[in-house]
Amino acid sequence: MDERGIREILDRVYKEGRKILYEYEAKEIARLIGIPTPKNYFIEDIDSLNIDNLDLKEPYVIKIVSPQIIHKSDVGGVVLNVSRENLKREILNMIENIKSKMPDAEIKGVLVEEMAEKGVETIVGLVKDPQFGPVVMFGLGGIFVEVYRDVSFRLAPLDIDEALSMIKEVKAYKILKGYRGIPPSDIEAIADVIVKVGEFGYKFQEVNELDINPLMAYPNGVNALDVRIILGD
Amino acid sequence: MEREIKEKIKYLLYPESVAVIGASRNPKKIGFQVVYNLIKDGYKGRIYPINPNADEILGLKCYPNILDVPGEVDLAMIVVPASKVLDVLRDSIEKGVKAVAIITSGFSEIGNKELEDAIVDMCRKNKIPLLGPNIVGVLNTDHNMNLSFCPNLPFKGRITFITQSGALAIGLIGWTWASRIGISKLVSIGNMAMLGFEELIEYLEEDMDTDAILLYMEGVKNGRLFAEVSRNVSRKKPIIAIKAGKSERGAKAAASHTGSLAGNVMLYETAFKYAGVVSADGLEDGFDKALALSLQPPLKGDNIVVVTNGGGAGVLSSDYAETFGIPLRDIPVDLMDTVKNLIPPFGSPKNPIDLTGNAYRDDYIRVLDAVLRHPWVDGVVSIYVHAAITDPVEIADGIAYVWKNYREKPITVCMIGGREVLVANTWLRDNGIPVYPTPKRAMAAMAALREYGRFLERYGNEG
Repeated sequence: MDERGIREILDRVYKEGRKILYEYEAKEIARLIGIPTPKNYFIEDIDSLNIDNLDLKEPYVIKIVSPQIIHKSDVGGVVLNVSRENLKREILNMIENIKSKMPDAEIKGVLVEEMAEKGVETIVGLVKDPQFGPVVMFGLGGIFVEVYRDVSFRLAPLDIDEALSMIKEVKAYKILKGYRGIPPSDIEAIADVIVKVGEFGYKFQEVNELDINPLMAYPNGVNALDVRIILGD
Repeated sequence: MEREIKEKIKYLLYPESVAVIGASRNPKKIGFQVVYNLIKDGYKGRIYPINPNADEILGLKCYPNILDVPGEVDLAMIVVPASKVLDVLRDSIEKGVKAVAIITSGFSEIGNKELEDAIVDMCRKNKIPLLGPNIVGVLNTDHNMNLSFCPNLPFKGRITFITQSGALAIGLIGWTWASRIGISKLVSIGNMAMLGFEELIEYLEEDMDTDAILLYMEGVKNGRLFAEVSRNVSRKKPIIAIKAGKSERGAKAAASHTGSLAGNVMLYETAFKYAGVVSADGLEDGFDKALALSLQPPLKGDNIVVVTNGGGAGVLSSDYAETFGIPLRDIPVDLMDTVKNLIPPFGSPKNPIDLTGNAYRDDYIRVLDAVLRHPWVDGVVSIYVHAAITDPVEIADGIAYVWKNYREKPITVCMIGGREVLVANTWLRDNGIPVYPTPKRAMAAMAALREYGRFLERYGNEG
């Protein structure tokens, strides 16, 4: 874990008077923790974007970056499956759309990202509880978390065995083992992310909440498609 | 916790002299009850009633002020009204008491935080441990000390019960006698102004008279500290928690999924898991598990054998074994062959082993001996369903007789028969064997022994 790199980002966020990190900052932290994320670029100046020099594999996901927009997809701030050819046009369309819906939103730029393959959607989270300190959470995405609240928790920090036991504890674990055509997921890689998130929460006590949702799980490896980090006072 | 304060907790639990400040001659007052209970239950230390308006209480010389007591005073037990607590506390400190307990209520529980803080400050400055305020008292069966307004001491044993509810303490004392659940100390912690679960658990790690710690908990002062301390102490002795207040706190403002899912109950359960604390589902389950964990060794593997004289009870135990995460497994062929020769042809040598309703003391002994002797077997649940032709006391005696030779393997017993098996139950418990009225409870107790065993396997050798 690159603690100095993480510290620099957090200091910058505090200096700008923010508590909620931009997605590209949160993903940068994830990378510094040692968690894989899709390759991406934060584009501040759309006009000077040179598509030919963009070393990202097609297709792309583009996401709006604005301090006022937290739930990006609710306002059309996420566009999937964009080709290189259409990239610039899609970016400009998205910005125009958002400006008409939220004229007061300050638009910092866009995040252009390689679109990841479909896998099993899991969630890894961290919350700092006033009584118990940093606590990590694991669950499977979609209805498992939202409807059944099928999640497990552990106090952080924790070791790989504990992380594995919390993965096995959720009822939807069967799906990770492979189920009806879904190949088995890389459970060790998920556990590794949980351990790293726990260590991060324990070392950086100013972090109030972190969500990796989804952490896409594959037969080989995982990918953090969305990372959200919220700081405390 | 400061070492000086921690070391003095012994004067709360094992004082050689107690001043009861606010002692009274009026039998309706708590100040009378406390002195009366100390005498009645046979406290061996010195008792100094303090009351400026009395010369004598219950035959004991009464002093107007603690400063007038001629000898040393280990513990000041304060029973005066809240408004007078600061004054008598100041005198107690001047007298040089080593610990303070305050029964008096009317502090933070009714919003009077300021007065409570002032008391804590004074004690902390003088390195004196403070129990309470708003407690029923401290009871220690090893010293016949009933320093409380509980009418009796609990049944004597090796569980120390720390309770956040005073009323519950009083109510449960009768239960400990009826069910012969052995208590070493009963400590009411009230408002936990200074000493709470965290500090007492830390102290009890070294307490020679405590084999298991039972908690009735509504909330802790510092969750993280509680988890760390308990994890440490759990390596030496089991901790069982009855957590009340299971209804979820109101919708918490959280910007993340994780934040909105991390409810109070979930976090306590998480902390218990981290700390190796065995979580209990209410009072009955808490005492059941504490009984097993205070009497029996942890279950070191997953191979449990059920030995029963009734098929139905066997099936139920098998169901609950699965519910509680310790499903029954097929027993090895050689053990099955041995058992086959010991039971009637219409019995079952499979797990659960069915001895049939014809099983007498000797049948239980022979089969239990073969089972406990076998290296594959980690623990046994023995069930007796009362039958017309057998004497439950004989069976109980047989079970206790066999188990004595295999003390490293845990056993829990289920005796079905209500009042027909009361004497047998007493016999078993007095011989260190936890006994329960249903297969479910006997199996839950065995599962608790396994849960603790698993914790020790993972963390027992650390640090």
